Amino acid sequence: MSGAGGEAIRVRDPYPGLRDVVVTGLGALGAFGAGREALAAGLRSGAPRLSPVERPPGYHRSHSARRAALVTERDFARWIPPAAARRMGLPSRFAVAASMMALEDGGLPRAQVTPELAARGAVFLGTAFGSALFSEQLLGEIFRDPEQASPFRFAESVANAPTAQVALALGITGANVTLTLREASPLAAVAGAAREIGLGRADWALAGAVEELSPLLHAALDRFRALARPHGAQPEAARPLDARRDGFVAAEGATVLLLESAERAAARGARVLARVRGAFQATDPSAPAASWGCGVDELAEALAAGLARHRVLPEEIGLVVSGASGARRGDLLEGQVLRAGWEGAPLPPVTAPKGATGEYGGFLAGAAVLAVESGLVAAPRWFEEEDEGVGIVPVDALDAPPAQTVLVSTLAAAGAAAWLLLDPA
Amino acid sequence: MSPPEKSPARPLVVVTGTGAVTGFGWGVAPLFEALARGARAFRAIGRFDAARHRTHLAAEVPAAGRPLALEGMPHADAFAVFAAEEALVAAGLGRRELGPEAAVYFASSTGNMVEAERFFAELAATGGRRARAGLLASQPCSGPAEAVARRIGAAGPSETVSAACASGAMSVARALDALRLGDCDLALAGGSDSLCQLTYGGFNALRAVDPGMTRPFREGREGLSMGEGAGVLVLETREHAAARGAAPLAILAGAGVSCDASHMTAPHPEGAGAVRAMRDALADAGLRPDEIDFVNLHGTGTPLNDDAEWAALCAVFGARAREIPVASTKALIGHLLGSAGAVEAVVTIDALRSGALHATPGGGPPAEPPSSRTPVRIGLDGPLVVPGARYALSVNFGFGGANAALVFERAGEPA
Repeated sequence: MSGAGGEAIRVRDPYPGLRDVVVTGLGALGAFGAGREALAAGLRSGAPRLSPVERPPGYHRSHSARRAALVTERDFARWIPPAAARRMGLPSRFAVAASMMALEDGGLPRAQVTPELAARGAVFLGTAFGSALFSEQLLGEIFRDPEQASPFRFAESVANAPTAQVALALGITGANVTLTLREASPLAAVAGAAREIGLGRADWALAGAVEELSPLLHAALDRFRALARPHGAQPEAARPLDARRDGFVAAEGATVLLLESAERAAARGARVLARVRGAFQATDPSAPAASWGCGVDELAEALAAGLARHRVLPEEIGLVVSGASGARRGDLLEGQVLRAGWEGAPLPPVTAPKGATGEYGGFLAGAAVLAVESGLVAAPRWFEEEDEGVGIVPVDALDAPPAQTVLVSTLAAAGAAAWLLLDPA
Repeated sequence: MSPPEKSPARPLVVVTGTGAVTGFGWGVAPLFEALARGARAFRAIGRFDAARHRTHLAAEVPAAGRPLALEGMPHADAFAVFAAEEALVAAGLGRRELGPEAAVYFASSTGNMVEAERFFAELAATGGRRARAGLLASQPCSGPAEAVARRIGAAGPSETVSAACASGAMSVARALDALRLGDCDLALAGGSDSLCQLTYGGFNALRAVDPGMTRPFREGREGLSMGEGAGVLVLETREHAAARGAAPLAILAGAGVSCDASHMTAPHPEGAGAVRAMRDALADAGLRPDEIDFVNLHGTGTPLNDDAEWAALCAVFGARAREIPVASTKALIGHLLGSAGAVEAVVTIDALRSGALHATPGGGPPAEPPSSRTPVRIGLDGPLVVPGARYALSVNFGFGGANAALVFERAGEPA
């Protein structure tokens, strides 16, 4: 294996004796609704359910994006006691609700989380922007009169509030880690949790991502030309990998996976949705603060070295679940890196679930688990015209669940890159 | 939680360079010099108009000394880049492209929020027409880490932990894992945060800020004082350092992280999560509590924190809690939030090397226990001499019950 310059790529030593980790539960809350079936239905639909974003005076430009994949669910009583929900901001409610769904889906309802079990648990969540609305509201209060600033809003404005609220709701006293790597946050969080279990510091973990989309965040993303825009009567649409793409559709919500040591899952007879084969990360330092860089060769080498470290040959990848979102530069880089990583050989089938879910909220991780478990991929109804630069046509459907390793790939704005390898159960 | 089994083949991770930006200035030299004098960096806030806030002091990084090359860069990014470059120079790596060998494990609680506040103010003042969106480009918590990776060309993993005031120590713990597992050869671990109205007003809303200067572990203490800045450690395996002829400053011997899971803003009253983090760090380092020579406390100066921390020290160290030397760096440079743990790690390493643990000034005599729960070995007026100290613990706790503890070992002979 060699890099772009012909030099040998350095493959690091294999990991020393980490425990096997499996995914046994999936919780998701998004514009598509609540739960694994709702996420699956959203993927089948091939397009995110869009709602108008509030447009306070001065926030948005007149020609800006107007809609986003917003969570319309406001009744969290199924997952959170109302008194507890009142002490949470919206991102915390998203995260706790998705966590409860993941536990239930994994056959481990909250009542079975004893203090002993909670002491062996961990929580790892990713977020790109943290608590957008409370931060904005708190700042407004401080600007008007600092003495009137809400202490509750401050406590819930910190980026780790949702992660902490999940721990509070379940009494989980192990590691409580919030990671922020923009679009790469969800995969990094899942990888972090898998490592915590692999090292034996936890037996199980809740891992995923949460995001809240405020009007100001939506307007800011649009000002950076990150968002797809409406074209005449045509509403904005995410068109991952398509030549006509003009940005992503912003989404909010949460995705949480229940991870366990394979040993613990087997002992309790849990259904295994997927096995975590490995994870790896890299950075494209050529990336500017608000866009993607040009480090194709370096990222492709990192991808090749990561696969090799996990003893996976490119031809052993059965499916790529791509983080392509419709971003002009981001999708181009994703296509170039994947093709360079395969060194000209044909790519395996590629699916781009963000075309159906929108960007943010960690739905990529949930979609990957569904793909491994059932072979479900997002229906690429958005895709019409291949982009020669990207060079990838998303797969319409799979005949069967992939029998081989699934590569989940995400390249974030500002340079972070994260990959996850999932094996079938 | 039982500690993880230690692999006999686990590589030793060493610190080969440190860098810092604090209220005392740009670099570790002004920090160490001021700490040795027991000076305090608090002054009237100039970063923003604090007139309408309940309190008015903070340990703000002085503009003087900021390199011209960092002009125009958002504050937290500039602090991070300066500290990272200083640490790399100290490690003998100079200023060069590091490539895929290097990783960035960073921390921040608010990223470049103060610049986002300017956007917000412009939005309000101009009805949005002239609000500069560019001010938001580096706003996310990940901004400082991204700036460091860009600056030094680090192409290994890069990530940012945002676990409130435990973030900095947690980022160092994450880097320790990465190096032990061979994800990278060299890691810049640290954190950066700048003063902003969001956190200043937020802590004031919680009535957690001392109207004067913070007085950790003193009777009548009224809260924390805010600070800003960055701290960075260059971490690498001992073999990697030896291969390039770098002399370690210290060994990062162990780390532990935990969660109280008891309250969003208040610590567990008995410091249960802090106890777990400290015990896990000791177990990770393969040490007994009686082998720790001093502790760099979280020591915020809030009544609740110091009480809970003292309870945790008593649980971990038993009767020795009254004898073990302790210090709160926050008494001198304020609470640096997401970067606190990183800067305090830098200070802890310096104390191991110099054999002196800085004072924890605050004014007024400490009350006798049990009313104040004041540890007896805090340096009230001057530094504590810790000759021959070999192992030190540095601890941090944050909102949401996040806790992290680090164990450092002196490298080489005592000073």
